[in-house]
Amino acid sequence: MKDKGKMKRNVIGLIILLVIGSPFVPAAYAKWGFFAHEYKYKLEDVLDANKFTEKKGYWEGYRDNKLVGYVFLSKDWTKDLLGYSGQHLETLIGMDTKGIITRAKLIAHSEPIVLIGLKEENYHKFMEQYSGKNIMQDFSVGKNISLDAVTGATVTAVVQNAIILRSARKVASLTGLIEAHKGPNRKLNKRSVSLTWEELLTSTAIKNLRITSKELGIEGEDIYLDLYFGMVTAPSIGKNVLGEKFYKETIGGPEAGEISIAVFSRGKGSFKGSGFARGGIFDRFSIEQEERVTVFSETDYRILTDIKAKGAPVVQEGGLFKIRQKDFNPADPFRFNLILPYRIGGKKEFRSFKTEYKVPEMFLEQ
Amino acid sequence: MSDKMSDKKVNRRNFFKIVGAAGAAAGVGAVIPRGTRTAKAQKSGNGRAKYDVSPGDLDDYYGFWSGGHSGEIRLIGVPSMREIKRIPVFNKDVGSGWGITDESKALLRGRDAGDTHHVHGSYKNGTYDGKWLFVNDKLNNRMARIRIDYLEVDAILDIPNIQGAHGLFPQRYPETKWVVLNSEFQTPVPNDASNKAAFNNPQEYYGMHTIVDAEKMSIVCQVMVDENLDLAACDYQGKYSMTTSYNIEKGVTISEMLASDYDYMLVFHWGKIRDALRQGKYRMVNGVKVVDGRKGHSDIALRIPVPKNPHGVNISPDGRYAVCCGKVSPTVTVVDLEKIDSAHDGKIKPEECIVAQPYIGLGPLHTTYDGRGNAITSVFIDSTNVKWNIAKAIEAEKQGAKAKEKNPHIVDVLDIHYQVGHIMATMAETKEADGKWLVSLNKISKDRFLNCGPLKPENDQLIDITGEKLKLVHDSPAYIEPHDCIMVRRDIIEPKVQDRYDMFENPLAVTDNSVVRNGNHVTIKMTATAPVFGLQEVRVKQGDEVTLIVTNHDEISDLTNGVAISSYNINFVLGPFQTKSVTFTADKPGVFWVYCTNFCHALHLEMRMRFIVEV
Repeated sequence: MKDKGKMKRNVIGLIILLVIGSPFVPAAYAKWGFFAHEYKYKLEDVLDANKFTEKKGYWEGYRDNKLVGYVFLSKDWTKDLLGYSGQHLETLIGMDTKGIITRAKLIAHSEPIVLIGLKEENYHKFMEQYSGKNIMQDFSVGKNISLDAVTGATVTAVVQNAIILRSARKVASLTGLIEAHKGPNRKLNKRSVSLTWEELLTSTAIKNLRITSKELGIEGEDIYLDLYFGMVTAPSIGKNVLGEKFYKETIGGPEAGEISIAVFSRGKGSFKGSGFARGGIFDRFSIEQEERVTVFSETDYRILTDIKAKGAPVVQEGGLFKIRQKDFNPADPFRFNLILPYRIGGKKEFRSFKTEYKVPEMFLEQ
Repeated sequence: MSDKMSDKKVNRRNFFKIVGAAGAAAGVGAVIPRGTRTAKAQKSGNGRAKYDVSPGDLDDYYGFWSGGHSGEIRLIGVPSMREIKRIPVFNKDVGSGWGITDESKALLRGRDAGDTHHVHGSYKNGTYDGKWLFVNDKLNNRMARIRIDYLEVDAILDIPNIQGAHGLFPQRYPETKWVVLNSEFQTPVPNDASNKAAFNNPQEYYGMHTIVDAEKMSIVCQVMVDENLDLAACDYQGKYSMTTSYNIEKGVTISEMLASDYDYMLVFHWGKIRDALRQGKYRMVNGVKVVDGRKGHSDIALRIPVPKNPHGVNISPDGRYAVCCGKVSPTVTVVDLEKIDSAHDGKIKPEECIVAQPYIGLGPLHTTYDGRGNAITSVFIDSTNVKWNIAKAIEAEKQGAKAKEKNPHIVDVLDIHYQVGHIMATMAETKEADGKWLVSLNKISKDRFLNCGPLKPENDQLIDITGEKLKLVHDSPAYIEPHDCIMVRRDIIEPKVQDRYDMFENPLAVTDNSVVRNGNHVTIKMTATAPVFGLQEVRVKQGDEVTLIVTNHDEISDLTNGVAISSYNINFVLGPFQTKSVTFTADKPGVFWVYCTNFCHALHLEMRMRFIVEV
């Protein structure tokens, strides 16, 4: 999982570095480029302890020989989560023995937040919110994690949030703080039946989230966002929603291991947003299965322009999103998180929504 | 419960039992909000196909258009007719850097003018496999291949011994191993000083049917004939290629070319070509195996007499008929391909392969198909598209002149605007012809668009062919000058197209920035990651030969960087993970800013570096 030499180097600490591309610099630096920031750190920066014992992928922190918590580096757990810059947001995280984050400290990033009028302090201020948060409760951007300090940098905020939450939950499950995945190991049924859109909805194979302008405080009686999603790896859902040919081409079948959700919407609002266009990350939605958070990037995405099922509405947006995490089980429940930005007058607001999802029982192996 | 039992349970009937038991049967759950019941968009249907594509929605077909003497290929979305991309092929494109970079120059070899007429896709089992496109260059006698994954040229083949490289068609079955290319202009073979005696003797001018290996992009052989060879087609069995000839006279003036009352449709027998190659029956001319296909010299080519000066030849999607357009004759000639073997073997006369010669209109040029037994032929002089039924034409021919007089085969005639050349329906050159859309590529647009001066665009007209009648739905202007097109279903192409380059496919890919001098040659290796170039300055000496190699390290799709050197006439763009290079002489001393030309970042304007040429 990690190499010890590297960790030691990190612990010794690095000086603040602002690398500006200069002639004959190695490509790696050119790549980190103009926006690279690195901060020195010590383990005690995030956990009040006087002795640290190195474990595989984290440190145990002791005060007066009593275990008081854990410290870990995000890149050991969630290196695959990349920010707007295409680089990981390296974070040092401390957590007590009850699963409360003691502190999260940013140690390296290349986010070009300066472009949207933000300063490094804004980013650090955003990070301060995590102290005292319980990892078993939900923290989601736009709800209990405020975007105020970093307004506009939603990609950065969403990825940073997922990095902290997912890293902490992984360490927590390793240390026994939370139980690792339990429950029966269910599987998707391989057979499929032909279903109309109405049948997919009534069986909850496709979930619908409707957000009216009214509930957002926007004038008008219209539906601001009418969103549909479902676990299309299940053949009865996928083949009807995507069409037989496209299902075969993209997913194959439950045994092929391609786990994807399909998301569609119509209305003034947008679930896709435009964060993925330049940043590559979809910053408005994520999914969560137990402690595991999935954020999608453009390489997980294929555009869908219509729903094949009979009686389906005409949609304005749609996509097939691949879940790459190996520990995601398509037969288990998960949650769809949406952060919806909207404007009231000229002011940008955010509202977050959560929708539980489970592949209906009849599409699972009995 | 065992898997077997659960499998049994999942059928439609049981499914509803389960849903019912869960109390979520339709109507009970009432989770379907009003307004979501809207029917799906009517995309099919009886002359009312939906042709407007809403913002955010995508077209159903990838249209690949030739670009005529612009030398390029264009990607048009159908039915929206939006131009999505231009693919530079035989031309210089200062936007992308095609013709500027070392890589493209190596393919163009000093010639950046071209004339593309026919673009066709590679096939597997009679339909497109989404691997390649092929296109001819009538001007400089070349063939290019476009890889579908990047939608750009990956090979250009120079073809000796020919002129007027015109009709092109890929093998359709079992897959595209060969591509045939016709030479429309007869010339001496070889056409050089060694054969100068032939210059003044048109009887020693020949046409060539060139066969190209699609994978290797090398010439398999050329079949030399007396005739000129115009349009090309391949059958659906991998047995023959076909062509029309309008100058069997070997004329060098219009009146000479029109002298004969008839001309030919030639059918080349691939088995016999292979035999000739195997038996060594060829001579080498300019490094190419030239097989003799002349009348009386071999039986490789079958000559079916057709009314004089024919034009297009197109095969019906069921593979049964070749339809040869009359051009000077108001008829088309329907050839039954099932009879070709007998004619090749001498069991029947070549003309006995003809099963119908129906009247179409004045100046029939090309034919396409709806996959429902109808053909649609472009008619130049009448300025129409004529839809006709193949079976009815054959039936009338059987019944005789009286039945033919009533033209029972004609289904509909549509006026177009104006003077049509090629015509093509969606998927019509495959066994999956689907009869959705037809494009009439008209040569004259006149009053159809805002007046833009004496040089006016062409007019590509979109026609709905889902109903019995042809229904014109859209005009779109086209710059110089598409001849032909194909329209390929989205699901065939889309999965093959990539968002980023495979970085290390290019051996020059730059990972470390460096400047290395070797004598007076300076090699600059540089990365580009918006908004910075990997180098902030480079110094060379006046007179140095400089090679600049740049790799775009941005992974995000659509994040293109441009590299331009001020005052040095150099610009090119790089897609994600792409590498390109340029070589030039640093002949002007001074400070020259290298800057990004393709908007890449909020700090795009700041993405620049100094190139200092010291005295």
